[in-house]
Amino acid sequence: MTMELFAVFLGSSIRLAMPLLLAAVGELVSERAGVLNMSLEGMMLAGAFGGAVGSWATGSPTLGLFIGVLTALPVAALQAFLTNTLRANQIVTGIGLNILVLGSTTLAYREIFGARSREAIPGFPVWSPPLLGDIPIFGEAVFRQIWLVYAAIVIVVAIALILRCTAIGITLKAAGEDPRTLERAGLSVIRVRYGVILFTGLLAALAGTFLSIGDIHTFTEGMTNGAGYLAIAAVIFGNWGVGRTVLACFVFGSATALQFQLPAMGLDVPNALLIMMPYLLAFLAVAGVVGRQTAPRALASPYWG
Amino acid sequence: MNATPALSPAHVSQRGALLLGLSGLTKRFGAFTALSAVDIAFHAGEIHCLLGENGAGKSTLCNLVFGVHAPDAGTMTLHGAPYRPAGPRDALTAGIAMVHQHFSLVEDMSVVDNLMLGRVRGVLDRRGWAARLDALGTRYGLELAPFARVGDLSIGERQRVEIVKCLMREPRLLILDEPTAVLLPDEIASLLAVCRRVAAEGAAVILVTHKLAEIREAADRATVLRQGQVVATSDAPSTEINRLVKAMIRRDLEGLDATTAATLGLEDESAVAAPAVHARPDGPDILQIDGVSLRDSDGALRLDALTLTLRAGEIVGLAGVEGNGQSELGLLLAGLDTPTGGRLVMDGQDLTGRTPSDFTAAGIGIVPEDRHRVGAIADMNVAENMFLNRTRAFTRFGLLQRRAMHDAGAELMRRFDVRATGPDARFGGLSGGNQQKAVLARELTAPGLRFLLAAQPTRGLDVGAVEAVYGLIREASARGIAVLLISSELDEVLAVAHRVAVIYRGRIVGERPSRPDQREAIGAMMAGHA
Repeated sequence: MTMELFAVFLGSSIRLAMPLLLAAVGELVSERAGVLNMSLEGMMLAGAFGGAVGSWATGSPTLGLFIGVLTALPVAALQAFLTNTLRANQIVTGIGLNILVLGSTTLAYREIFGARSREAIPGFPVWSPPLLGDIPIFGEAVFRQIWLVYAAIVIVVAIALILRCTAIGITLKAAGEDPRTLERAGLSVIRVRYGVILFTGLLAALAGTFLSIGDIHTFTEGMTNGAGYLAIAAVIFGNWGVGRTVLACFVFGSATALQFQLPAMGLDVPNALLIMMPYLLAFLAVAGVVGRQTAPRALASPYWG
Repeated sequence: MNATPALSPAHVSQRGALLLGLSGLTKRFGAFTALSAVDIAFHAGEIHCLLGENGAGKSTLCNLVFGVHAPDAGTMTLHGAPYRPAGPRDALTAGIAMVHQHFSLVEDMSVVDNLMLGRVRGVLDRRGWAARLDALGTRYGLELAPFARVGDLSIGERQRVEIVKCLMREPRLLILDEPTAVLLPDEIASLLAVCRRVAAEGAAVILVTHKLAEIREAADRATVLRQGQVVATSDAPSTEINRLVKAMIRRDLEGLDATTAATLGLEDESAVAAPAVHARPDGPDILQIDGVSLRDSDGALRLDALTLTLRAGEIVGLAGVEGNGQSELGLLLAGLDTPTGGRLVMDGQDLTGRTPSDFTAAGIGIVPEDRHRVGAIADMNVAENMFLNRTRAFTRFGLLQRRAMHDAGAELMRRFDVRATGPDARFGGLSGGNQQKAVLARELTAPGLRFLLAAQPTRGLDVGAVEAVYGLIREASARGIAVLLISSELDEVLAVAHRVAVIYRGRIVGERPSRPDQREAIGAMMAGHA
């Protein structure tokens, strides 16, 4: 592989990993507190849709981002209400919400855009930090990204610090490991879990808008295409730690980037096999091939008090 | 623990100020009345023991005070003002701290993180809290490594974390719900010393227990609950033990089984005889546990070349603090797990690696420690549970003969004194004692039974049922069946077994004859000082 090709591969790996990263780290926060959001896929799709429509209608991708978040939060709120207040099964609820979001975004998209489906939607401009952007070969290919990429990195570092060093960190951990103990310490498990699900909704919305107005500047029906599930797999792959989850997202992102790189390098690998790669890796992770997985003990079980 | 001054109850002469008053407190769970119009006064500077059998309402009372449940009727006053906690947070704010019957610690967190949970905001000051922990530890004699993971601590150390967690709040009222059930004898002594220290500093302590030795040693006042009602109170409990016990179990002590009396902690009382010492019977060897080892999935050695041989008709007590390999040994003897080393030989037949049904066929009966999960199926009826292992005997032409099973179930219920509305009653609706008797009925009537494992067989049972279970175990032994009694209650082991083997970290660290004068030696071995 030449340096140029490698730089391009690195850049596209980062770009492909970012939505996964935002969603996965958001999901990680929820899972640390004992909530499994199968609806991550739906939250992302809602965010992608809201972002696209908002950006198209206002002409501003930044406003689009806000509208994307506002579109995804009700999905998160519904997930939180059903699983915390009504104590419904988290997984069934999540899958139901995914189907609901897929159906409603598809319907709304056809209603709003109809024949104009090829219309360009304003997206985020690319930008590179001073100095880094000037590095030969790599500067342009790797560091020229939309600002959301850099925002995501800041968010991930902040979350890692919060989980490790603050009262919020131990509160979330207690909610996921031993919710009864948290309640006996005078804190409300339900309130904590509402909080984390809404936070996951926020990050999933950012991930979704990254897909629609950050990367390809359009919305297509069901465009998340399993990215939400892949993000959940990354959390498992990452054994519920921030560092390993980030690593997992980059592995999945690179596996996707290879799809575009290998043909460019003249290697004849069936495309379907490459498309399968991230899912295959995720499958191996979930099956426990990559080391022993220790999930939070109360993961996916409703709190009955 | 040596720094604590000895303050015997007798030194506390005058009654402290009223701290918490309960008046007409009532709590119902569905149709079941857990507490019924209870009036109790708790005073500052006193240790107030709550005494009662399982299900008497002690824990419910604590949970009402701590705000876990809300009362259906009645009022509470704290320092003369109405007190209506909406949740544990209100109780904590009011200066009430509680050590729960089951630990409320996050195992996968360090000691300081557990202490800080719910107490701090923003960035964690782990060093500052470690220093506070040190200071408190020195003051009360409760040393702890601040950065150790709670899951790696012994049960006694975890209990210390629980106590420290409460003490850090400097509570005005400290509630301890059966805190000594899992502790070693010397750990119990230190805990009681801490309680006395806390009371001497002016707080009120509610100590829930059913062990009389603790009341004798620590209580300034005692209240006895039975079926949710106050049935006796005492201002000088250490001198009135017999009256309190009578009130607790509602029967005279003269007729009490000597073993049961010893288990209750009555061995010093003149009313009951000392438990009989049984000579070890001279039968042939039945079961050989031959150097058995077990590694769990984490690679930790749970059983370490454990060797034990049981003779026909012999009751061997396996004493030890919980978590030293007893549960794992139980699984191996049921055939539910396979040893990673060593052999299990029954009557000369090597059973290592065989299936549970082979174990049953070889004459092994199991009374598992968790009868709800492993011993029986709560949603099936009593007869079905009694014949789970013998459905073929009631099957003709592939059809289950329900009538025959019903009748046989009724017969077994009569023989083993299982009290329920009938063989069709749902198993889960039975009291703990009757459930245990039904499990014993199934295991003891299995054809060809040669060995019985009874793991924690009396846990959670009331006195009458405990006596019945002991009786059944003795009867089995008289029939020539070898019995391995696993129990974390040393008194129970001493009272029932012919000899006592002590398990510590997966090994048998010593054997002693089952005599009360061996108590201290066995206790030391349980703590690892072999």
